[in-house]
Amino acid sequence: MNKEERLIKRYKAEKRFRFYGKAAIFMALLFLVVFLTKIFSTGYTAFQKTWLVIPVNYNADLLYLDPDKKPTTEDINDADFYEFGIETFITLDPDASEDQIMELKKMFAFTFERELKYYLLDNPDSFGKTVDVKLTASDDLDQVFKGNYPRDIPENRRRASDYQLKIFDKLNEDGRVISEFNASFFTNADSREAELAGIASSFMGSLFSILVCLSIAFPVALLAAVYLEEFAPKNRFTDFIEVNINNLAAVPSIVFGLLGLGVLLAVFGLPRSTPLVGGITLSLMTLPTIIIAARASLKAVPPSIREAALAMGASRMQTTMHHTVPLALPGTLSGTIIGLAQALGETAPLILIGMVAFVNTIPGTPMDPAASLPVQIYIWAESAERGFVEKVSACIMVLLFFLIFMNLGAQLIRHKFEKKWN
Amino acid sequence: MNSVIFLTIVLLALSSYFFGRKKAILIQSNKRLTALPKFYGYYLAIWCGAPAFLLYALWSIFEPSIVRFFILSDYSSQGLLEGELNLFYEKVKSLSRNQYSGELTAELQRSAEKYLNFRDIAKWSKVVIVLSLLIASTGYAYTKISNNTKTREPVEIFLKGVFFLSSLAAILTTIGIIFSLLFQTIEFFQVIPLFDFVFGMHWYPAKAFVRDASEALDPSMYSDTFGAVPIFAGTFFIALIAMCVAIPIGLLSGIYMAEYASKRLRQYAKPVIEILAGIPTVVYGFFAALTVGPFLKDLGLSLGLEVSAESALAAGGVMGIMIIPFISSLSDDVITSVPQNLRDGSYAMGATKSETIKRVIIPAALPGIVGSILLGVSRAIGETMIVVMASGLAANLTLNPLESTSTITAQIVVILIGDQQFGDPKTQAAFALGLSLFIVTLVLNIVALSVVKKYREKYE
Amino acid sequence: MNKIEAKNVDVYYGAKQALFDINMDIEANKVTALIGPSGCGKSTFLRCLNRMNDVIDICKVSGVVKINDYDINQKDTDVVRLREKVGMIFQKPNPFPKTIYENISYGPEIHGIAQSKSEMDNIVEESLRKAALWEEVKDRIHEPGTGLSGGQQQRLCIARTISIKPEVILMDEPCSALDPIATAQIEELIDELRKEHTIIIVTHSMSQAARVSQNTGFFHLGKLIEVGSTDKIFKNPTQQQTQDYITGRFG
Repeated sequence: MNKEERLIKRYKAEKRFRFYGKAAIFMALLFLVVFLTKIFSTGYTAFQKTWLVIPVNYNADLLYLDPDKKPTTEDINDADFYEFGIETFITLDPDASEDQIMELKKMFAFTFERELKYYLLDNPDSFGKTVDVKLTASDDLDQVFKGNYPRDIPENRRRASDYQLKIFDKLNEDGRVISEFNASFFTNADSREAELAGIASSFMGSLFSILVCLSIAFPVALLAAVYLEEFAPKNRFTDFIEVNINNLAAVPSIVFGLLGLGVLLAVFGLPRSTPLVGGITLSLMTLPTIIIAARASLKAVPPSIREAALAMGASRMQTTMHHTVPLALPGTLSGTIIGLAQALGETAPLILIGMVAFVNTIPGTPMDPAASLPVQIYIWAESAERGFVEKVSACIMVLLFFLIFMNLGAQLIRHKFEKKWN
Repeated sequence: MNSVIFLTIVLLALSSYFFGRKKAILIQSNKRLTALPKFYGYYLAIWCGAPAFLLYALWSIFEPSIVRFFILSDYSSQGLLEGELNLFYEKVKSLSRNQYSGELTAELQRSAEKYLNFRDIAKWSKVVIVLSLLIASTGYAYTKISNNTKTREPVEIFLKGVFFLSSLAAILTTIGIIFSLLFQTIEFFQVIPLFDFVFGMHWYPAKAFVRDASEALDPSMYSDTFGAVPIFAGTFFIALIAMCVAIPIGLLSGIYMAEYASKRLRQYAKPVIEILAGIPTVVYGFFAALTVGPFLKDLGLSLGLEVSAESALAAGGVMGIMIIPFISSLSDDVITSVPQNLRDGSYAMGATKSETIKRVIIPAALPGIVGSILLGVSRAIGETMIVVMASGLAANLTLNPLESTSTITAQIVVILIGDQQFGDPKTQAAFALGLSLFIVTLVLNIVALSVVKKYREKYE
Repeated sequence: MNKIEAKNVDVYYGAKQALFDINMDIEANKVTALIGPSGCGKSTFLRCLNRMNDVIDICKVSGVVKINDYDINQKDTDVVRLREKVGMIFQKPNPFPKTIYENISYGPEIHGIAQSKSEMDNIVEESLRKAALWEEVKDRIHEPGTGLSGGQQQRLCIARTISIKPEVILMDEPCSALDPIATAQIEELIDELRKEHTIIIVTHSMSQAARVSQNTGFFHLGKLIEVGSTDKIFKNPTQQQTQDYITGRFG
């Protein structure tokens, strides 16, 4: 092989290597794109909710109320809307058989009783009249309407029957199927029924956990960092603390779950499944992250500032509190937010301390049982019903929104407030 | 009541700040002070709040166990088991709250009354003692204040002490982890021989269903139940698959970023790739279970292969994607810190860029790269949600990536999800797994960090 | 009486000895220059005079340093009090990243010198005037001090130091980061400050030492070789080493 040939070969190798590098970056970016598209394409429909608008005759006889007297709130509350609902559904197909009536009922979410009642409570004038009322469609029909559910498979492998689809199509032709923004996704707690399930309870759970985590981890981490960076003598013990912190930062999160379970629940007897315990567990996990960020920002404050203050006759403590800490605060804060964002996305430790309980009420304090957004994702992803798939993706979108928001916030603080030293 | 005491302490401490400062300002009018008046305020506030708060906290921690001791001391001679005493005490407590709905016995009633009585005494004596300590310490400090009392120094020493205690939090966490893991693990190995755990080939924790306490301690119940080999094998196997994805892509993109990429590409592509690291793992788990798993299964079907919907490949592959940014950004850092003169030397000999990278830069940066890969492995081993959601829960001993297998982390979750019973070998097994996980990741981290540190020192 | 008397001062950085048995007296209301090649220990000695060496963990100081006949190296010396009396200006201007006003008000605030806002305003103005900076910054004293030029920053640091009326001011090569014009301004200022303060200045420039000081000490390899009036040191040194250094044969 002569020199020329060799050179050509070498240049080819160069090109190939460069191509591999580009391909690797492209692959990494591709994964991200595929990933996000998948989540968005399955999730966006969850922000829409399907309603069936059906004519309802608030007939006094059907409700067993006195037709001549305007019913009071109490009367309405005591009335039986289950039977009334069934009677109303029969009007959709007067020839329905017993079985078909049951199928008609299953076209609606089981909350139809409440929805019929509240409509009458809100519109007492409709008593004795026939009015159009909006009722939540069952999640099977909801999925059919959104096109997430194939209609062409055999009936016995499908959850919506031919009969239901027939009635549904008729309603749809009459313009009685409407799709609106799904506010209940944000205001409802979790539910076994996909069409009613919302993220309010898990959102509050996450919020409380993060607040508990912040109020423990931030002060402790900041003070610890200040001690290690500004006061600690350089000896074996502080070296040990330092090694300890670095290793703690890389301990798998599930181990912190075991810590929460084995110490916080079993030894200290704190209440299971609560954001309080979740927050404490997360704070122990976040602590090293914040300490490392805070120490880095303290280190970045030039020694000349400390010398200036000391030479003015400020004590060590005054120098630290008046100058060093305020200057290190932006970096610490941004590290804290990043640590909290990690904690917000954490699932495994919360599962172990029991925050996977089914919670259908919105927690009011950190001492109430709750789930959290990522745990909600896990719970829904594990349930079989088709309607939960889009909910999971939507919940992921909400979670990603908060994570992006927090990370941007951290960036902003860093760029805007952090001093650059030359 | 507790919050009332707490608030009282806080309020009194705050107001004593003002008293202290006022006294200092009065002294100042004719004598020079040794510190600013506000330090006299802090001084008094600390003397007021700190001892009282400390006593209050200690009292609150120990009161329940002391009350419990007194109540149960009546029954200590009856030779009851620890569990029975616990149950009895819980009954007493719920009866005292009027929430008891079981059989009422005279003993129970008597103890509940005694319990209420004790709680009452304890409550009021706590109030009285805490408040008198507060008054005493505040009074002592107040009379001590004069123009040449040192106040700044004690205040600063106090603060420094608080700072020091905070820095112990990390150590306490580690001790807590070791304590909680070790304690349960030791109990576990009292029932299950260590040898069976480490070398056993069958893992069926569901089999370890015991009906009562006498069975729980019978080792023959658990033969062939807690053999962790399939779990360890599955863990390393999935981690291996993950690294097969993450190392080539992560390393090559790290190298490209460090050596070839334009400033613009670096500026935009780097943070975008790092987004992959910020996505919660539960989201990856969902993606693996919902998209990748079925996709591989369909792909396998069309190729005539049988692929499990929960294959190790799906879980490992997605985990690999998650680890890409860790390896790429760490190796990027490591390569960028290789001194320029090494590159110059190679270019000056007429080497191409890729030759320089392969022959000079990578060998020079190797320790750092190895360190970053080890950190990636430690992450893969400790990753939980992806395997819980996308890989199987049954522990098959297999080396076929198309079959399902399970990992340490997944088994911990499987065992501990829902209600756990402490003292049950199944629960303890989860802690034993946790301890093995902790040790393995700890060793990997220590090695990785020391390798990276040595490397950094070499070029700094 | 001498303002400062140093007796048998030894300084160690870990195992390495940086100063060997320094004995030096410093007269009040004069400028004393410390000269010598870099690494000779002149800055280390300067930092002994307000115990700034305490900041460095591995640094050990022994010997006696008396200021106003009080030994500052005693265990129970309050360094805060000491540094209130002995101010320091550093090589690189190091204003706090705060406003000009806050830079100067910091000292009076922590030492409780000003009782009211107007008193503080007066101190700030007076200090800036004495540092010959008032005219340049009076319209922007609430803007960041880091926005000033290098020379102005150094004068700000001087203003900050004199705001608490120290008896002694230590200057560690205060002009090494400045241009010739800014240097001239600072030198002029030093001469002015001598009326109320005792000044000790470390400098690597012999011409500067000759211009601003009345007394000079020459350090070499951690030892004080010679000390005396600036005139004598520059014109008629007794030691050969001093002679060699002054004439530029080494250093």
